[in-house]
Amino acid sequence: MSVSGRVVVPAQETGGYQIPSLGYRILVAALRLIPSFFLLVALPVAALTFVNSRGIALPISIFEVEAWGLVLLALGTARYISKPTRAYGPLSVAVSLMALLYLLYALTLSPYRLVIPGGSASVAAGYSMFLELAMVVPAIGIVVGLLITFEDARSPKERLPFDFPA
Amino acid sequence: MAALLVPRHRRPPAIYRVARALRWVSAIVLIALVIFAGTVAYSAVEVARSSVQSRSLSASFASNGTVAVAGSFTLSNPGLYPIQGVTLTARIANSAGVFLGAFGVGPNDIAPSTTGVFPIALYLPVSASGPTKSLLTEDQYLAVNAWGNATYAYLFPLSVSLSETRYWGAPFEGFHASVGTPSGGGGAITVPIVVTFSDHASSPDVGTLAFVIESSNFVDCGGGSFPLDVPAGSLYDHTDTATLSPGCSPSGGQLLATYSSAGGTTPLPPEAIP
Repeated sequence: MSVSGRVVVPAQETGGYQIPSLGYRILVAALRLIPSFFLLVALPVAALTFVNSRGIALPISIFEVEAWGLVLLALGTARYISKPTRAYGPLSVAVSLMALLYLLYALTLSPYRLVIPGGSASVAAGYSMFLELAMVVPAIGIVVGLLITFEDARSPKERLPFDFPA
Repeated sequence: MAALLVPRHRRPPAIYRVARALRWVSAIVLIALVIFAGTVAYSAVEVARSSVQSRSLSASFASNGTVAVAGSFTLSNPGLYPIQGVTLTARIANSAGVFLGAFGVGPNDIAPSTTGVFPIALYLPVSASGPTKSLLTEDQYLAVNAWGNATYAYLFPLSVSLSETRYWGAPFEGFHASVGTPSGGGGAITVPIVVTFSDHASSPDVGTLAFVIESSNFVDCGGGSFPLDVPAGSLYDHTDTATLSPGCSPSGGQLLATYSSAGGTTPLPPEAIP
């Protein structure tokens, strides 16, 4: 049996909660960085480098992709580490907002016009509809972040037994 | 103390449950989008590898005073998603920028794992007068501008534009017909007719070449015809004889030649007689 505020919480009935230490959360966040880095930075940069090496103009600079990717990684890592705290909600909003801005920025670059080396032919590929569909994900993320922020303000730590069951 | 116990199987707060449900929805949408994007990229590469192929393009004289360029092109879609609304429009102009003709195909859909065949029918006017006459007798480069549109995998509109010059080999390149000095007397007066040209087209000139000698006051002085069988890419030099009508002088007139083939009759540019 554990005590949380004025409420006695029997661990076997509610599950209780056990917040991982800061060091453990940092370690897990670092491990989560590996696939995230691959998806958000390494893979796009490799694809752009491959295309650029064949003399095809890039729709977006490699530096921009790296910058957006690193910002998203940093915010995502901070969000994970802050999960037991009241900063989790605002950071969730920040991550999703940044992802939404990234997609909006990419949307301004659509359609991508590619001039075939030699200059006689050009191809324009539009991807606006796909990006607009993809914006659903960060849009939901923003709503989720706002809900968590509201929940934490209304009843601090109420979600912890469900986020960190013992 | 017992009153402070939290009930068994306590449910998470409503807001938390909503947030969790939304997170699930978000994750499912994200995974679906990643899978969709991956399969679209894979399919697009497969389509790009198959590339557009044209086949059986042929040019021939048509009955309406045109050269008909007919054939088809195929577009394979080995990918997983349809190519919808495929349209192609092309516009041809001669070296002077004069519009010659255009054609359009589509819109057509190409289902996954199928091949779309698009017929092409382009008619280039080759009349002896007007701005397009040079197609008959002058090799040149034609300006070809083409535009294509399609939508791939429901969400990705594509447009292609192509500008290039195509060499046009004239079927009667350097056509020249000259009337020689009349000979004979008393009875029939004959004149030699010398016809020279090169067939630079991809098809042979097979048919009949008829000619009429017209005086300066547009009186038909006589004429003739002879069969023509000139292989593509070869030089033609032929001398024929025409019998003039009595009292009709070709001097200052013109020689009118007409090429007749299975496709129809095409007048050639008139040649002035000195």
